[in-house]
This record gives sequence, structure tokens and C-alpha cells, in this order.
Amino acid sequence: MNDSTTNVIELKHITKNYPMADEDFLALNDVNLSIKKNDYVAITGPSGSGKSTLMNILGCLDQPSDGEYWLDKQNVATKTETQLAEIRNKGVGFIFQSFNLLPRASVLQNVMQPLVYRMMPAAERKKLALEALERVGLSSKVTSLPNQLSGGQRQRVAIARALVTKPAIILGDEPTGNLDSKTSRDIMALFDQLHQQGHTIILVTHEADIANHCQRIIRLVDGVIESDIRKQQGELSHA
Amino acid sequence: MLKTMHIFFEASKAAMQAITAHGMRSALTTLGIVIGVGAVITVVAIMEGLSANITSQLDDLGSDMVTLRAYTDPEQEMLGFSNKVSYEDFLLLKSKADNVTDMTATMRAFSLGSSVQYGRSTTQTQIIGTDSSYQNVVHIYPELGRFLSESDDLKRRRVAFIGSSVAKKLKMPPDPTGQFINLSGDWFRVIGVAETRGSLFGFDQDNYIIAPFSTIRSLNGSQATDNIDIMFRPQSDASLTDIKIQMRQILRQKHKLLDDDPDHFEFHSAEKTKKQFASITTSVTLVASGVVSISLLVGGIGIMNIMLVSVTERTKEIGIAKALGATPQFILLQFLIEALILSLFGGVMGLLLGYGLASMVSMMMPGSSSVLVPLWAIGLSFGFTTAIGVIFGLAPAIKAAKLNPVDALRYE
Ligand SMILES: Nc1ncnc2c1ncn2[C@@H]1O[C@H](COP(=O)(O)OP(=O)(O)OP(=O)(O)O)[C@@H](O)[C@H]1O
Ligand SMILES: [Mg+2]
Repeated sequence: MNDSTTNVIELKHITKNYPMADEDFLALNDVNLSIKKNDYVAITGPSGSGKSTLMNILGCLDQPSDGEYWLDKQNVATKTETQLAEIRNKGVGFIFQSFNLLPRASVLQNVMQPLVYRMMPAAERKKLALEALERVGLSSKVTSLPNQLSGGQRQRVAIARALVTKPAIILGDEPTGNLDSKTSRDIMALFDQLHQQGHTIILVTHEADIANHCQRIIRLVDGVIESDIRKQQGELSHA
Repeated sequence: MLKTMHIFFEASKAAMQAITAHGMRSALTTLGIVIGVGAVITVVAIMEGLSANITSQLDDLGSDMVTLRAYTDPEQEMLGFSNKVSYEDFLLLKSKADNVTDMTATMRAFSLGSSVQYGRSTTQTQIIGTDSSYQNVVHIYPELGRFLSESDDLKRRRVAFIGSSVAKKLKMPPDPTGQFINLSGDWFRVIGVAETRGSLFGFDQDNYIIAPFSTIRSLNGSQATDNIDIMFRPQSDASLTDIKIQMRQILRQKHKLLDDDPDHFEFHSAEKTKKQFASITTSVTLVASGVVSISLLVGGIGIMNIMLVSVTERTKEIGIAKALGATPQFILLQFLIEALILSLFGGVMGLLLGYGLASMVSMMMPGSSSVLVPLWAIGLSFGFTTAIGVIFGLAPAIKAAKLNPVDALRYE
């Protein structure tokens, strides 16, 4: 398992600096990180430490200023915009803190959206979307609009949307950040289940009990990895 | 190929959804194009209708009818000369000219003035003297009664064939034949009323009185004023140029003109009028189209403006689409198609508006026929609106396609 060939994600000396008026701001500073297939990772750290910046790079939504990002043994820096779009479509599923659903589209349409960007017949699209909604337990809400749903339900829609393309990697930037603790627990149960089904999962979180669901906790401070702890098998599910 | 079609289909669907989400705004956006295309179609339809109408009237008149009348060179005119074409010239041409089907002479009734009286009514008209061939040359036919006969001419009868306007203006009974009208003291019996021809260039074509040539000639009296117009029709397979050459020869010889003397006469044909008119309508259409294409340009800028607003407004939505795997090409196509649909929609509405306006105008114009929107105008409008959609939609679409996913997602 420790063999480097099983690393689905490899970051080498990643830096990200934002050009500012007086001086550039270094949001990520020489980050090195390897993530194996079926890892269940929590990224924690104080506000402004660079967690979202890192997640955006992992999700190919943004490019690092320096360093190399190897995804599935391929250097992301060499990809064209169209190839990056394909990675975002098939390789990773991204879940946002603020859900990012289309307000005018129904639950079903929202979940089908990633499939629209592929060559897939409408009937098959609908079938896959209904399957994904089934997995998150939202089969009864397919025709609802996002604003007719609770926060937890909206996040389930977003998770279904991330799952519908069957990506190997699921990224969540504070997926429970806008939810109460009961709803958070439900969502985390869902992630636990996805992990058991073989997905590689990386979550950003502030909360210790959320992080405790994961096998590995990475702490980021001021753009630098301060600690990277892998828990033992037995400690896993006491939360 | 299949993939391209698929992208095209999905992008069109997304574009359509965006358009219908802001129905009112989309409709207002296209207004510039609607007005632009509407104006083009209206102008073109009116011009086409007008020219088709006039051309057909000129055809009725007989585009192959040729008139020969006296011409005086301006230099000679200043010296007090005035050339004439005489009845003898007419008789000579009639006997000698080849390839001519019908030929007639007409003379104005100077002595009779232009007013005509019936009962208590008086009106102004033009009185011409001519012979029975006139009917065949000018294609004028009686609605009631008959046209002049050869014996009317031989016997210098005081009879008149009148245009329908004359009968109406003089408040004559429904069948005016047999009634007497007074032309400056001379009484003429009405023998027929012509079919109505309507108006051309605003001229009433039914306001005339025709009397036998010999009668008018004798009333005119003095031979000095004996100046006539000669009208004829070439045989359908004959060359008008050859006919004119022959007639010139005959007349120049008769008038004893020297080699470098100018002609005493000239030829007029409706063909010439038709050509002049066609060139007028062409230039009017061109100028109007030019003016109107400026409004299309303004319409295009309107579309570009609203598309730029739309891209900014939907930045977040574009960010989500990109995060979910929409390629730059997909986003580009979606916004381009959106601009194109707006523009083409405007084109279709403009076409309908133009057609409606042109129908209204043609209903108000007297004597004009149905509305004609030529195919080239429809094609041109669609070509124009497509071009406008693509050209003015491109900049906003590129802007949308180039958005960076993170920046777009962060947009509030
Ligand atoms: N587009 C940007 N331009 C300039 N600075 C930025 C930009 N995005 C992020 N930063 C800066 O980079 C730092 C890291 O931001 P990031 O969003 O990654 O923090 P975070 O760890 O996710 O914080 P939080 O827990 O509050 O979400 C912050 O100090 C932020 O101000
Ligand atoms: Mg963050």
C-alpha cells in the first residue's frame, strides 16, 4: 500500500502567490503531499491558512504559481484548458461549502449538469442522475428547486452532482460548514459510505469531530503543512 | 462530428434557457434589430410594389409604343424658329415606313382651349384630334359606345370619345353616349366612354376627350399651327433602331435638311421612361437600405451590450459550469448561439413588422397592388442578422469562455 505507484495525487513543491499591490502574498509555500487511492483525508487549519487555495489546485480549478501537480501519474501543468475541463468533469467531484447549485434548475437538472458536457443521451443522463440522488437519499425531491430544500438537502444534491460522473476522487471544501451538527453527521455518514465504496476523499474542515471521521489529518498553517497524521485502524470510528 | 453536433445541441438548449429566463429583457434587446429589419423590409416592399405597379401600367400603355414629335434645337429656338411635324409628314411615313403595325397622328385642339361644358358643369381637360388607328396604337378601348371610325374622320363629324373622368366630372348620366358636350361653343356628340386606366405618377389618365383628326384640324384652322404627334408600334420582331433610321431618312429628306442640320423631330418611347424609373427606384432603395443598415448596426451594438451584461451577471453560473467540466468551446458556443438567437429572432419579428407596415402603406396608396417582399431582401435581412449575431456576440462569448473557474466561482 505504501508503494508510490498507488499515489493518485502528488504535489511537489507547490506554491501559490497572489500578486498584491505592495508585495505578493504567499498563500501556499512549498507544499509536498502524496495521497493514495482510497485515502480519507481531512485538511484543517486556521482561517486564511490556504486550505481552499490548496483544494482549488487539487480540483484543477486553479493553477499553482510554482511546483508540480501530478494527478493519476499525469502532470496537470501540461494539460490544455479543454483537457482540464475533462478532468474536472470525470476525474474529480468537487463539493463546495456554499453548494453552488443553479438556482433556476431543478434538483434533477442540477445533478445531470456534469453529464451535459459529455456525449451522453438524455435518457442515460437521467438514469445516472436518479441513481446518484438515490445514493444520497433524495429520490423524493427530484423536481424541487434548490431554494425549496434545506441546507442539508442542498448539500446532498451537490454531493449527488459530484458523484454522478463516478469520479475516483471527491473533494469537499468545508462541505458541512453551512450545516447544523445533526445534518453534518448525516453528511459525514455519507462520506464514510463513499469511502467504503472505494472513493478517494479529501475534505477541508474546521471541526475536530468531522476531521475524526478521516484516516489522515493534515494541518495547514500560513501556507505550510504543519502536521500530517495518519490514524491507526482502531481509532477510526469512535466519533 | 457526432460530438460537435451534440455540443451544438446542448449549447443551443442552454442558450434558449438563458433567453427565456429573461423573456422581457431578451425581447427589448432585439428591438433594435426588429426596427432595423422592419424598416428595410418596409422600404424595399414599398419600392418594389411601387415599381411593379408602375412598370405594369407602363406596359399597359405599351412599352413598345413610340411617339415622334417635333424638336427644335435650343439655339434655333432662341432665334425664334419652331420646327413642326406636319400631317403630310405623317402621310408620307405611313405610306413608306416598313415594319410598323399601326400608326396614328394626334393634334391638340388649340382653338378649343381646354374647358368642356355639360349642363351646368364645367371641367378642364385635354382635347386631342386623332384617327381610328389611335385605338390600336395606344390600346384604348370603349367601356360604353364605340371609338372613332374612319367615316367620322372623313365626314369631319363633331363627335367625341371621352375618358371616364370627364364623364364623372361633368356629372353625366350613367350612359353618356348620345349626350352633347360643349367645347368652346362647338357642340360634340358623345359616341363612347373609355375604360378606366387609373393614375400614373399621380396623373389622372382618364381625363381626355378624343375627336376626329379632320374635325380638330378644321377647327384649328390656320395651316401654320399644323403640328402633330405621330404614334406607332413597331412589329413585334422588328428592330426599333432600324425603323428609326429609316424614318429619319424619310423625314430629313422631306424637310430638306443638310448633312449637319439637326433633326426637326425626335422619338420618345415608354421603354425609356421605364428605364429612368427603374434607375430612380434602385437608387432610392440603395439609399434607404444604407440609412437603415445603420439602425441594424445600432441593434447589433444593443445585443453586444446586453450579452456583456449577461456574461457579467452569470459569472458565477459560468464558474459552476466550468467547475463541472464545461469546456471553453461549450461556453463560447452557448453565448454565441444566444446572441445569434436574439439576433435572428429580431430578424423574424422585423420581417413580420415590415410586411405588416408595407401592407398598411400599400392599402393607403391608391391604385397600388399587393405587397411584394422580394426573396433577396429576406435573404439579405437574415444574412445581416446572422452576421450581427456572430460579430457582436463574439466578444462577450470569448469573455465568458476565458473566465478562470476560481475567479468566476468567487464572483458574487
Ligand atoms: N484571489 C485572491 N487574491 C488574493 N489573495 C487571496 C486570494 N484568494 C485567497 N487569498 C489569500 O490567500 C490566503 C488563503 O486563502 P484561503 O481561501 O485558501 O484560506 P482558507 O484556509 O480556505 O480560509 P478559510 O478557512 O477562512 O476558508 C488568505 O489570506 C487569502 O486572503
Ligand atoms: Mg476556505
